[in-house]
Order: sequence, then C-alpha cells, then structure tokens
Amino acid sequence: MSSLVALDSGEQIDFVHLRQILDLTDGNLGAHLTKLENAGYVKVEKTFIARKPRTFIKATDKGRDAFDEHIATLKKIIRGPKNEIQSEPVYETTD
Amino acid sequence: MDISEKEARDSLDQIQAVACHTRRTIAASYDSSLLMMWGLIWIAAFLGTHFFLRWVWWIWMILCGIGAIVTFFVCWSQFRSGNPVKVPASEKIGWRIFLFWALLYVYIFIWLSILKPGHGIQLNAFICTAVMFAYIVTGLWFKCYYMLWLGIAVTCTTLLGFYLIPASYYCFWMAPTGGGALFGTGLYMRLFWK
Repeated sequence: MSSLVALDSGEQIDFVHLRQILDLTDGNLGAHLTKLENAGYVKVEKTFIARKPRTFIKATDKGRDAFDEHIATLKKIIRGPKNEIQSEPVYETTD
Repeated sequence: MDISEKEARDSLDQIQAVACHTRRTIAASYDSSLLMMWGLIWIAAFLGTHFFLRWVWWIWMILCGIGAIVTFFVCWSQFRSGNPVKVPASEKIGWRIFLFWALLYVYIFIWLSILKPGHGIQLNAFICTAVMFAYIVTGLWFKCYYMLWLGIAVTCTTLLGFYLIPASYYCFWMAPTGGGALFGTGLYMRLFWK
C-alpha cells in the first residue's frame, strides 16, 4: 500500500514492476492485492500492451484515505502524551 | 490493538522507506541509462574539445546528435513497450516534456543569436547552465529532487570553471565535474536505486 500511495493519484503501476520493487513472489503479491482489492483499497486492471498481457494496480481514493488515516494514527501514537494508546485497526484485511 | 510508540515509529519508518524506494526505483528505470549516456557524451565532448580544439564544432554536433537520436529511440521504445507506471490519459505529459526540451533548444539558439557570446567558453557555459536550468525545472515539475540537485551541482561546477579555472583548462575541468556528475548520478541510480 505504501508503494501504491507513493504514486500520484490516478497513476497505475505494472504488477511485474511492483513485484520487483517489493521483492515479493507472484503468489505473495497477488494474495496481498486480492485482499486489498476486496477491501476496495486498490483497483487491478488487466490490459494488453503490444499484444502482451499486463496488469496495472492503483490505489483507490478509499485506499488512500484509509492509508492517510493509518499514518495519522501512527503519528498520533508517536506524539501522544502516553507511550501506548488504544488505536483502531485501519486495515481489516492486510497481514 | 495496542501499539507502542516504538512500534508506531518503526512502522512509519518502514512506510517511508518503501515509498522512497518505490519512487527511486521508478525514476531509475526511466533515467539512469540516459543520464549515464549523456554523462559519457559530455566527458567525451569536453575532453575532445580540450585536446582537439580545432574540431570542437564537429565533436559537439556529432556527439549531441547521437545522444539526441538515442534518447528519442529509448523514450519511444519505453512508450511502445509500456512504461512501468501508467498515467491517466488526461494527464499524459510525454509530449509536453518533449516539447519543453525541443523549445529549450530553440530558445537557446534565439538567446545565442541575441547575446552573441564572445568566445567558446562563454558559449559552452551558457549552454551547460541553460540545460541544467531545464534539469532543475524538470526536477521541480515531477518532484524528482535528484534532478534538481544535479542541476544545481553542475551549474555550480560550470560557474566555478567559468570564473575560477584558467580558460585553457575549462574543458578539462568540465569533463569530470559536469559529465562525471551526470554519469555518476546515473550509475548511482542504477546500482543503488534499482
């Protein structure tokens, strides 16, 4: 999700390229993406470029919002008066 | 779910690292080979100018011509085979980048015809700083901060060479500092960002 949110809104990244960046196997990345897609956080688009099948992935607005919320929560924990606070899980499906 | 401050900090660091790695890998996949090639062209052209001053015009025209053709074909083949990152059709900017660089060279010729630099070093320093200005603008435009810093660094080395290095050693100075900076940045991206 960090990788996808690092792209500008609307930009899509090639599956193979994302796999190389994250150093994951096809199956591992596919499983992560399926969970994120089911949660509505990413959109997977299959297409053909120069007669070769390509899969592009992008973070949805919902995914970006959830990610921003997650970051805000982490920052709040770091800045908070107490070292440990009760926080709501943002991602229901990942990891 | 209980999260300690340390866990939150580690998590944020990890997110930051992945985001940074992603942006760098994408940048390296586009630019590293072209930067290395232009670095080598600058090194060869500056050394050629230093040792074969009489052929300076041909050296720069031939090497820059080769560089422009290779750059065009690399960009074209990337476009044909599909870039790793697809932008929405409404935001496609490839042609705008092409137009920006094409117009830059047109304007360089216009400015040169107006300013009429007195000697070769003035001409060279002007073109180098104009091209580095384009690097800085591109870096700011696409948030590619390595291009911004590279542009500033090479501008500084050009100004140092122009004002402080004896004229006869200007090209000898610019080969490693100007060309070397371009090549070194491309090599660093290829080795450590991919």
